[in-house]
Amino acid sequence: MVKEIFFEVFPTLAENNFGWEKEQKDYDNWDSFAQLNLITFAEAKFSIEFSLEESIEIKSARELVERINSHLK
Amino acid sequence: MNLIDCLKNNAERNPTKIGFIDEERKLTFKEMYDEVQRFSKNISKHIVPTTKVVSLISENSTSFVIAYLGIINSGIAVHLTPTNISETSLVNQVESTGSKMIFCSEITEKLGIFHADGFVPFTPVPISKLAEMTARLVDNEEVQVQTPTDVAYLIYTSGTTGEPKGVPVSHDMVEFTTKNIIDVLGYSETDIDVIPLPLYHSFGLGCLHTSIFAGSTIVLLKNADNLENILESVKKYNATSLAAVPATLTKFLRLDRKILDNCLQGLRLIITNSTSIPKNTVKEIKDILKGGNLATYYGLTEASRSTFMIFNEDSNLHESVGKPAPGVNIKIDDEHKGESEFGEILVKGKNVIKQYWNNEKADKNMEDGWLRTGDVGYFDDDGYLFLKGRNDEVINIGGEKIVPQDIEQVVRQIPGVEDSAAFGIPHEVFGQTIKLVVKKAANSDLDKLVILTHCMNNLEKFKIPSKIEFVDSIPKNEYGKVKRSMLK
Repeated sequence: MVKEIFFEVFPTLAENNFGWEKEQKDYDNWDSFAQLNLITFAEAKFSIEFSLEESIEIKSARELVERINSHLK
Repeated sequence: MNLIDCLKNNAERNPTKIGFIDEERKLTFKEMYDEVQRFSKNISKHIVPTTKVVSLISENSTSFVIAYLGIINSGIAVHLTPTNISETSLVNQVESTGSKMIFCSEITEKLGIFHADGFVPFTPVPISKLAEMTARLVDNEEVQVQTPTDVAYLIYTSGTTGEPKGVPVSHDMVEFTTKNIIDVLGYSETDIDVIPLPLYHSFGLGCLHTSIFAGSTIVLLKNADNLENILESVKKYNATSLAAVPATLTKFLRLDRKILDNCLQGLRLIITNSTSIPKNTVKEIKDILKGGNLATYYGLTEASRSTFMIFNEDSNLHESVGKPAPGVNIKIDDEHKGESEFGEILVKGKNVIKQYWNNEKADKNMEDGWLRTGDVGYFDDDGYLFLKGRNDEVINIGGEKIVPQDIEQVVRQIPGVEDSAAFGIPHEVFGQTIKLVVKKAANSDLDKLVILTHCMNNLEKFKIPSKIEFVDSIPKNEYGKVKRSMLK
């Protein structure tokens, strides 16, 4: 489900360019607005709410999954 | 020529012509002129000579017109208040104006707003009772008339946000604006104008002024939501023009097309105002009107009818409010618009107030005759003005400026969305982000992800709402504008 969020927010992202460990700096278009969009989609999809600190710290798909899981426990 | 001069002129040229119709009676120009004179004389017997302002609170009727013109004819400014005004707002406005008398209709007298403890130090006078008293007067001596720069009427306005400000409109402003309306939209004494809009607002009041200046016949209706009555009145009186807000026109289109054709085809003009009109409404109303025109304008109480737009076949212009009215200058504040294509709209001309009513803070909106409207927009290459929203509604996300309407338009395309409103909410990093409230259509199972995905596919990424909430209703004013301040 998190992978789907990445393809929503980065519509030009090819399947083989996605990576769980791939970091923000390795994306061409993961800027602060894309970060905001990722958080928004994740909050809507999992009915959770991130703190500002959490929102800022997420730098990869893996970290997003971990943060989501911490809210779902 | 002020309103009283025009009425007198109509009474002398066409004394037996029916000039004023409401849901209970008809008055000729001569009858109206005589009623106004009697009303004025009676007021002068009941108020102190230093009175500058008298208040009027009434739904649409010929009695409203008699009282309005009668007060003006006494050399006094009319303070107009909405009939749905709260007790607190009425007290505040009356204190601010220094009004010494309130005329009310029988309906507003029963609303209970005048009966609060410590209310105004005088008793509201039902218009009808003054009329009974005036009936006993027999002399025909005319009373004083105001000078052009005197205030004709005073309306309190706050748009959709902010503190109410008194807007004093002078006789020469009324004359300038009304002549522009007549010239641009082609009103004449052969017109029969149906007005379901409240006369205590600038739009409806401007229509009354137009009928008086043009010498046409005005049909006053009390209820703008009674679509059947509006259509029946247009048909019954062989009306040539109709004034209605865009929401009314859009609601018309839900009715049977044969009824609309039957009632509206004889109109030469439908005039609406500057709340955004859906493109489809423009197209369908034009189709119904056949040879008639659909027109809109942009204006504020402070700068009435600053532009006019007569819609033609060019659908690219269906969201424009047109070009500046003759003698009116409009510019976009380039200095503060930054990288965005739009900026605040500034207006200068004889339709613009010189200052607000005893309000130095609000007077800062005026700079060298230019009124800062608080609206944002832009001109296209051909000089047509397009509105984008309110300056105080612009959402600034990390330097990117967004008008809520851009988001709302896209969201309303989603099946299952009945209505939506976007606005800025504070954010520690971006300054602001966007919150969207959505009213779902009945039985819709729409969820937030569908909305986000649609936004993602149709908007720039900085315009994607960061919060979405489903609500039962979206607060709006009577012109259909979203009251965003109530959502925040």
